[in-house]
Amino acid sequence: MEYRSQKIANWYFTIALLLFVLQVVVGLWLISNYVFTIPQSIVDVFPFATARAMHTNLLVLWMLLGFMGGTYYIVPEETGREIWSPGLAWFQLIALVTTGVVALIGFVFGWTQGRPLLEIPRPLDVVVVIGALVFLLNVGMTMFTAKRWTVIQGTLLGGLLFLALLYLFGIPFYENEVIDWYYWWWVIHLWVEGAWELVTGAIMAFIMMRLTGVDRHVVEKWLYVEIGLFLFTGIAGTGHHYYWIGAPKYWLWVGGAFSALEPLPILLMVIDTMHHVRHRQTKIINPHTWTIAIGCAVFHMIGAGVWGFAHTLPQINYYTHGSQVTVSHGHLAFFGAYALLNLTVFYFAMPRLRGVEIYKPTRAKLGFWTMCSAMMLMGLTFGIAGVLQSYLERVLGMGYMTAQSYMRLWMAVTLVLGVFFLAGVLITVFDLLSPKAAVEEPD
Amino acid sequence: MTKKTAFWIFLLGTLSSSIVFLGLTVDTHRQVAALSHVDKLSKKVIDGKRAFEKYNCNDCHTILGFGAYYAPDLTKVVQRVGADGIRYRVTHPELAFAKSERKMPQQHVADAEIDNLIAFFTWVGEVDNGDWPPQDSKSRLTRGEQRLSVGAGVSPGAAVFQSKGCMNCHSLHGTGGKFGPPLDTIGQKLTEEQIKRYVHDPRSVNTKALMPPQKELSDRELEEVAKFLGNLK
Repeated sequence: MEYRSQKIANWYFTIALLLFVLQVVVGLWLISNYVFTIPQSIVDVFPFATARAMHTNLLVLWMLLGFMGGTYYIVPEETGREIWSPGLAWFQLIALVTTGVVALIGFVFGWTQGRPLLEIPRPLDVVVVIGALVFLLNVGMTMFTAKRWTVIQGTLLGGLLFLALLYLFGIPFYENEVIDWYYWWWVIHLWVEGAWELVTGAIMAFIMMRLTGVDRHVVEKWLYVEIGLFLFTGIAGTGHHYYWIGAPKYWLWVGGAFSALEPLPILLMVIDTMHHVRHRQTKIINPHTWTIAIGCAVFHMIGAGVWGFAHTLPQINYYTHGSQVTVSHGHLAFFGAYALLNLTVFYFAMPRLRGVEIYKPTRAKLGFWTMCSAMMLMGLTFGIAGVLQSYLERVLGMGYMTAQSYMRLWMAVTLVLGVFFLAGVLITVFDLLSPKAAVEEPD
Repeated sequence: MTKKTAFWIFLLGTLSSSIVFLGLTVDTHRQVAALSHVDKLSKKVIDGKRAFEKYNCNDCHTILGFGAYYAPDLTKVVQRVGADGIRYRVTHPELAFAKSERKMPQQHVADAEIDNLIAFFTWVGEVDNGDWPPQDSKSRLTRGEQRLSVGAGVSPGAAVFQSKGCMNCHSLHGTGGKFGPPLDTIGQKLTEEQIKRYVHDPRSVNTKALMPPQKELSDRELEEVAKFLGNLK
């Protein structure tokens, strides 16, 4: 660590990790709702809907905190100066976490905007927007005063700006349900397949450059091509959400064609990650951080690329739309693309922020492989349930609950896998919060 | 490839996609007015949408396929269970789902709000959304009927006749129920058009009819079953 103000990142990471644990615990409650019959008296007080709002909002919150912490860690090293205002970074962390906690408690008492993933009530949205503006100001001013521009910085700032702008489309009340969903996807899809991919690309490029010593020129060239392809396929690819909402028919063609290309940039990311590792100029000091980075690229490819591709073709989507197939894709893609990205950053930065240059990877490996295996299998069990649902309910025309009864077994298996996943998360979080230095091996 | 070429790939890729997307967004706004019947978007419908959001319905149910997957999709809920069905489930979920493996919370929704919700669901159900979801499609036979029709070599109408429970009351060639009249020669008495009307709503033809109206049949199913019966001469 070269800059004092980088230390704030540690707080962002720590809180993000605790929220991650909470998200997974709530997830276990959700899957229990599928496996067991929850009595009416509990459902009346704490319905599935409330827990679901918590599960998804915790996801967004911890990942955004991770991105922000990552940005505060990277920007000083990229610009070669301290963060413009560490005070504002603190203020923004407190504002965001307070909003999150108030929102989560509010959900329990029915205080909600009532739109999936955008449940945070409108008055709190104002605080979120202020927090985002403060963050952008702080990061932007650090870059401006440093007067040193790199492609990585530009992509990072561009992604964060895009991310904040898109959030605005989720705030108004839309009278027309069709238009409502149209713009809902501007937040959800353009976040995960646009803005977040920019942030991911920038962070990955930075870490790769730092760890492999590959020339900045090469890394940044790849970065340009990647984000170009991400945005080319991702922006118009939003159309794959407009098939069945009452939008014009041409979205079937536009959405189908552009999203069929969406795996390309991810594939490129996998290839260039491998390429950089092969052509590394320096000795890799923490090989496990690399394992996670490569795991991120591969999982990203499977979850977002392959699973996404598998059901974006309109002919297939007609039957799988809004089923557990979506859940399978959602879990694999979010874990692969964004949870593992955040963990890569955490493993890169957290031990170092605590003065551990080379960490002992025993627990980290155990946690990583437990999480990855459990999540991969969860993707499969959700997927089986989803295919059953598509066939029984949509193709054969069985009633909703009749079809669900055939899926119950697979939901039960998912519950067991979820427990393993939680174990993996707990090991990882514990390891990150108290990293152990590796014992020096004689050369 | 130089860094400059890479930059141009980035710029052109992003710009071209954005132009396509924003252009189509403008056009979508124009067309959605007709596709979603904006003229029917009354204050009641909008208030219904507010109630839908107030009670966080969308975090268990999907609508137009979006939301949570814990409970049935609500796009065609009015067609599926009717206004009274919705009212009963929302007012007394503890009774409606007493035997169900999954429960719905009692949220003490006011009667006026339920009326608004029904108006909202009715409006959503009429949105021209490419005939989704498939299980509620009015223009196709269920896959069960299709299979029977292809596999057993019967006409689509005969498949509907067999799979929709007509034979619980009526018989053909001596097979079937005895509660209603046998239908072996029904085509001599009634035309296809008359059969269609009768099946859809028997009381509209004969006020003393005992047969329940078959409102669950899709348009296509009604047409096929009438064609089948009309030819039995």
